[in-house]
Formats: sequence, structure tokens, C-alpha cells
Amino acid sequence: MSITNDIPPHAIERLRGLRKEGHPGGIFTSDFSVNEFLLVRKAGFEPIGLCVGTCVYHVGIQYGSWNKNQELDVLSQAMYHARELAMARMRMEAAGMGADGIVGVELTVKRLEWSTDVLEFMAIGTGVVHAKGHPGFMGPKGQPFTSDLSGQDFWTLLHAGYRPLEMVMGSCVYHVAHQGFLKSMGNVGRNVELTNFSQALYDAREIAMERMQHEAIDAGAEGVVGVDLHEGSHAWQAHVIEFFAIGTAVTPISTELDASTIPDPQLVLSVNT
Amino acid sequence: MSWFDRFFSGRNSGAAAPSGSEGRLAEWERALQAGGLPSFVESRLREAAAGRAPWLSTMTPVELAMARRHGIRPVAMVSGTCCYHFGQSWTLGHSEGWHLALARLRDEAVAAGANAVVDVKLRTSRLPLRSTMDFTVLGTAVRIDGLPPSDDPVIATVPALEFVRLLQSGIVPTGIAIGAHYNIVSGEKYEMPGRGMINARQGTGQSARQFARQNQPLMDLSEFWEAIRRTAMRELERDTKLQGDGVLAHTHFGQLFKIEKVKAPPQFVGRHIVIGTVVHDRRPGTNAPIELRTVLDMRDDLSPLLAERPHGHNAYPVASEGGPI
Repeated sequence: MSITNDIPPHAIERLRGLRKEGHPGGIFTSDFSVNEFLLVRKAGFEPIGLCVGTCVYHVGIQYGSWNKNQELDVLSQAMYHARELAMARMRMEAAGMGADGIVGVELTVKRLEWSTDVLEFMAIGTGVVHAKGHPGFMGPKGQPFTSDLSGQDFWTLLHAGYRPLEMVMGSCVYHVAHQGFLKSMGNVGRNVELTNFSQALYDAREIAMERMQHEAIDAGAEGVVGVDLHEGSHAWQAHVIEFFAIGTAVTPISTELDASTIPDPQLVLSVNT
Repeated sequence: MSWFDRFFSGRNSGAAAPSGSEGRLAEWERALQAGGLPSFVESRLREAAAGRAPWLSTMTPVELAMARRHGIRPVAMVSGTCCYHFGQSWTLGHSEGWHLALARLRDEAVAAGANAVVDVKLRTSRLPLRSTMDFTVLGTAVRIDGLPPSDDPVIATVPALEFVRLLQSGIVPTGIAIGAHYNIVSGEKYEMPGRGMINARQGTGQSARQFARQNQPLMDLSEFWEAIRRTAMRELERDTKLQGDGVLAHTHFGQLFKIEKVKAPPQFVGRHIVIGTVVHDRRPGTNAPIELRTVLDMRDDLSPLLAERPHGHNAYPVASEGGPI
């Protein structure tokens, strides 16, 4: 892996000290809870180190026409590009550690205090490696897999016969048209559907989902689990809204497990409330 | 492929018209008016149903495992949105808004060849518009092995885990029921009983000072508020009866507020909405075939089963309802 040019010396230093195959004396870092740690190990993986990717991004300016439903593609691209960069950097760090993948990825966006159009994106997760060095768990194109599933969910996913490929996402920033004065006067005192608004929200969500699905197709996934749709308006104009879809693309481990071999969870009633 | 190519290939792929284009918006317009689906949505769902495109699902891995174990497969994420202006009636507006959104979700589920939609969440995006709310429902369409595609899929707000657990017990979730009511009254008697009589009888009623010192129930206001809640419950009952024989109502939202008027008695506005999953219990009275073990959980913090899911229902601020007594 020739990433040495891109990674500063102190980071290389850190990577060298990490635990991995053939370096059992090293240490590992992770943000796992005890239960997560135990379950990741039970799933046959070892944590090697926390992987971080950060991207501080200046988001360009784009205004929607006052009375028009439209995607603000400059903003969509910014929101997507920044997250992608943060994720790519995190993945690069994982590859440097020799990780098979990253679990428990958390993706955050923060507005920086001093400016309204500078956003900080961060991706952080724990790089893991298969304890017996099984090569079959890498993500698409030999890259480490990424997944926002917790250690517990990772264990369950493997037991359901699937492995994570990569986090897939789709973003769409949309300007919802304002209503004309005459139109809104016409609605006073009436119960009506505002179809132009319905249409805008529908379309924006659909675009975000389509983009995510397209990423899943590219990754060669069978499906996407844990899809979450966020709506956010990062202090843009009042009628601008971002739809962001994110999930973990998965694929069957080898051949699909027969359903009857998947263990049925035991039902318990916790008696200490 | 770099992110940038992906970005653009995403928008121009397949049969879909480019995003934000006039063609795409015109298709939405037609679909919303005529009650169908735009061609690009239909093709996305059809591809997913045929297994040619990856399925999308809100299910967690545990839910996926449990669903697969019981022959249930996720197909696609389906949604319905209706942005509704309730200028005339909050009650009708809310009930109509949710029903329209649900009808659209159902259309998408049918196009995906689904037997059911699970984990349906009620969401709103809080546009800064007066008397207008965006009613959005979002869920995962699933296919049950061995059943033909349904033209009237079951719609359930319960997550896949609970859906399976209900089915195991012989209870079928059949749909979503909504009960809403809104009313408005004006008069001082709602705020201060007997106050109206002061003027009429020249001081034989209680004074504001007397009132402030006394413990007493506000009967008129209680009655007004109770009637609203009761009506909402009756509506829920009626909606339930159309679809099944019971409801697990998870969302209760009520608001009572006062509007001060100039040179007129104050107005009181009350509104209440209840939403839940309708179930059809085929064998009422039989014990659920579930074996339970009691365990002592050693966790100090909240169990993950009780923790709120990050992106659940957000349509009504249920937490503002007040705490336990």
C-alpha cells in the first residue's frame, strides 16, 4: 500500500505500533463499549485502531428562484463531496493499518462558529481485521469495507449470512417554491393540499434515495440495511432543505444462508426496570 | 469511478428524467393529480421487486435476520408525502393529510409487489408555513415468501421485529388508524368559574381574589377538553373498526391553549390526535405461544430496547405532553 506519501510521519509512527497480524505485541485503539468489543471478537475480528477522516468544507452559494421547485445542485454536490472526502480519508487510514474494514462509523456535520458557509465533516470508526486473515471480507475494489453498524449489529449481520460492503449515501438539497400571494389568498380558510410542496418534498427524497441506490448498485450490493433518511437545513434560507439518505450496503457471505439455519432470537423479559 | 462521476451518473441513470428538470416535475404534478406514480418511481420499485436492483430497508441487522428467518424479505423503501393546508379545519386537515400520504405509500407498495409495509414512520419536515404541515410516511415494503403480490398490502407502524412477533402470535397488523379532533370555545367561565355571573348579579359571584385563593376544579374547561379527547378516541375507534379489531395506539398528541382577545372573552383551543397500528386478532383469548425467560439486566443505562430510535416518528412532539404524575 503506497500511501506513505499522503500520511504524515507521526501517523505512520502510530500505525506501526498498532496490533495486527504478525505484530501481536502492539496496542489497539477503539471507541467500542465492552459489549461491542466482545461481540466483534466473537464474530472473528480484532480491532486494530480508530480511523478518522475530517474535511472542512466551504459550501458555495446558490439561491433558488423564489417561486420555483428546484434542486440546488451546487449545495447537493458540496454536501456529498465533503462527506465523501471525509469517508475516503478515513478509509485511507484504515487501509494503511491493514484493516479489512471499519465498523461503527459515525458521520457528523458541524457548522463552524465563525462562518455560515464553512462546515466541518467528520467520519470516525474502528478499523478491524479478520483474526485468521480471511481475505473475503474486503469491500468493493479491495478497499476496506465501511459500515455504520455497531459491533453488536456487525455480529448479527454476519450471523444473518451477510457481510457489509460500504456505506452508501445520497444527498439532495432542494429549494421548495414559495407560494404566490394570489394562490395563498385563495387558500385562506380552506382545507387544501398544497401539491407543489408535496411534490418538492417527494422529489427531493426520491432523488436522495435514487442516488443511494445507485451507489449500492456500483458496490455490487444485494441490499442496503439500516437506511436512515435525515432532513436538515444547515442554516440555509427557510425554504431550502437537505434530504440525506445513508445506509450500509450488504452482500451474502458466500451463498445465501438457508433461512432455517439463522438462529431464532430468544425472547427475554428484563425484570429490573 | 470518482465521486463526481457517481454523482452525475446517479442523476441521469435509467429511465429517470434529470432531477429538478421540468419533465420530472411535470410527472410529479400529473401523478399527484391523477393518483398514480411518476414513471421513474415506478421503474425504481419494479426493478427492486424483480431483484434487479438492491433492496433498500430501514431494518437493522437483527430485524433482517429475524425477518429472513420467517420468510420475509425487504424489497424497497416506500413513502408518501402530502403537504396540506388546514385553513378550515385542523381536525379534518390532519386526518385527511395522513390518509392521503398513506394512500400514496400504499400505491408505492403495490408497485413494489409487496405484501406489507413495516416500520412506517410518521414524519414532518417543519416548513415555515402557517397552518400547513407536511405529512410524510416512510417505511420498508416487504414480500412474504409463498404469497402472491398483494393489491392491498398491510401497512404497519411496528418495526419488523415486532411485526414478526405479532404474526408468530397469530395477530395480523392490518393498517393504521387515526383519530383527530379540534374545538374552540370562548368565554370567561372557562377560565374562572362563576366569573360571568359577577356582572349579572352585581357581585354575588366570586371575585378574582376569592378565586385565586380557592382550590376548585375548572369544570367547564375540563368538560370541553375531555369532550375533545373523547371525540378523538371515538374517531380512532371508528377508523379501527374499518380495518380490524384492535388498535395499538402509540402516538398521542394533545394541546390546549388560550388566545387572548381584545375587549372580548378569551378563546380556548383544544386539539388531540391519536395514531396507532390496527391489528386483527384471529384467536382472541388464546395465549401467545411465546416462551419467556426472565433475566436480570446488568446494564446501568437504558436498555437499547427502550432507547428512542434516532429517526423515528417526529410528527408530533409527544415529549411535550408532560411527565408521569
